[in-house]
Amino acid sequence: MQFTPKQLNDNVNVSKTHPLIELFWLIGGLIVLVGLVFLILGVTTDWAVSKTPIKIENWIGHLALAEFPADENKALEQRLQSLLDSLPEDSPLHQYNFHVFLDESDIVNAIALPGGNIVVYAGLLNEVKSENELAMVLAHELGHFAHRDHLRGLGRGLGVAVAATLLFGEESAASSLVSKTLLTFQARYSQDQESAADQFGLDLLTRRYGHAGGATDFFSRLTEDAGSKLPYLLASHPHPKVRIDALNKLIKGRHYSIAKTQPLAPDLLP
Amino acid sequence: MEILLQNFDLVIFLVLAIFGYTAGSLAEKRHYRSIIKREKELLKMAVVTAEGSFPPERIQEVALVMGSVVISIDYFKRILAILRNIFGGRVKSYESLVDRARREAILRMKESAKEQGAKMIINMRLETATIGRSANKKKSVGSVEAIAYGTAIVMN
Repeated sequence: MQFTPKQLNDNVNVSKTHPLIELFWLIGGLIVLVGLVFLILGVTTDWAVSKTPIKIENWIGHLALAEFPADENKALEQRLQSLLDSLPEDSPLHQYNFHVFLDESDIVNAIALPGGNIVVYAGLLNEVKSENELAMVLAHELGHFAHRDHLRGLGRGLGVAVAATLLFGEESAASSLVSKTLLTFQARYSQDQESAADQFGLDLLTRRYGHAGGATDFFSRLTEDAGSKLPYLLASHPHPKVRIDALNKLIKGRHYSIAKTQPLAPDLLP
Repeated sequence: MEILLQNFDLVIFLVLAIFGYTAGSLAEKRHYRSIIKREKELLKMAVVTAEGSFPPERIQEVALVMGSVVISIDYFKRILAILRNIFGGRVKSYESLVDRARREAILRMKESAKEQGAKMIINMRLETATIGRSANKKKSVGSVEAIAYGTAIVMN
């Protein structure tokens, strides 16, 4: 046997693909994968939301409420009750047992939590000047319950976080990047829900008082002092100016009249 | 600027990835140039995996020779490998690493045999090991070790 030394020019043990091209394909695949997960989560959440009985929702509500240390407020509940009384008899909202909580922090916002719990922040109550404005805010939150948005947000937000963590682990930069990108989608998604809730709120306000006076007052005040508290509200809600325009268009389209608003009753003045 | 500060971990991640890519591919190119050059120089030395048998009078001396090398992965290769873990398939970014390690180990073994005046190495074996087992886990970068060993024969 003859040994003939020979140097090979080609290397069969290493793939020829350029690493950057491989990176491009892998990241592309990842984006498609994440998009699919988000789509599937959206569809399943919508389905689950429409099937969730209010009993289960109440149970979730107890869990959610534990995160918001706030006291039940009788004066606010009284306002909510008069709004509920002006709803039609067959409204699904009558199945809820509503509670309104007042949180002492300065945030200008109100949240609808599962199980018929509404948290109103003291910051919002300080900004409100008339009964009609307050009714509009509460009716807006009732709109979220009517459309079951509070469950929708919970389901998808939870699903996204779980999926990203499963893929990349809790502390990885990739999973925080994914949830950051997806949560902007989330804000966009909820902006449509906010507009739908505004619409519901306007209709209910008109049923309650017989006119749409005060529907836009709160938002126009927000536009005026575009100061410190505004950015928080802007994150998940449409710009107040946009909301005012949409509401005015609705008022005109539905031929709602506008009359004088009632000042806030003394039991809610700070 | 504020966005950069808010996503500081992301910035670090990107800087490491870019640095890993440039440094890693420069090092790889240089290493391959040196491997090919030295392989050419040592081409005459025969290395076989066969056991071989020789008439005793022709053999002057036998010796165990070995060469080993440890090569580290870079941050960019690690990212590619992690992404590969999701989809499956050939981990191409690690292929060149193992290839370099094995060829370098064989070269060092040959160099050591040459120093002892040997003309050939028989019964050559190659082994690969990982150093830093948690290579794909959080924040650690692993390395690969290759060791080549065989019997060097000095002929009369």
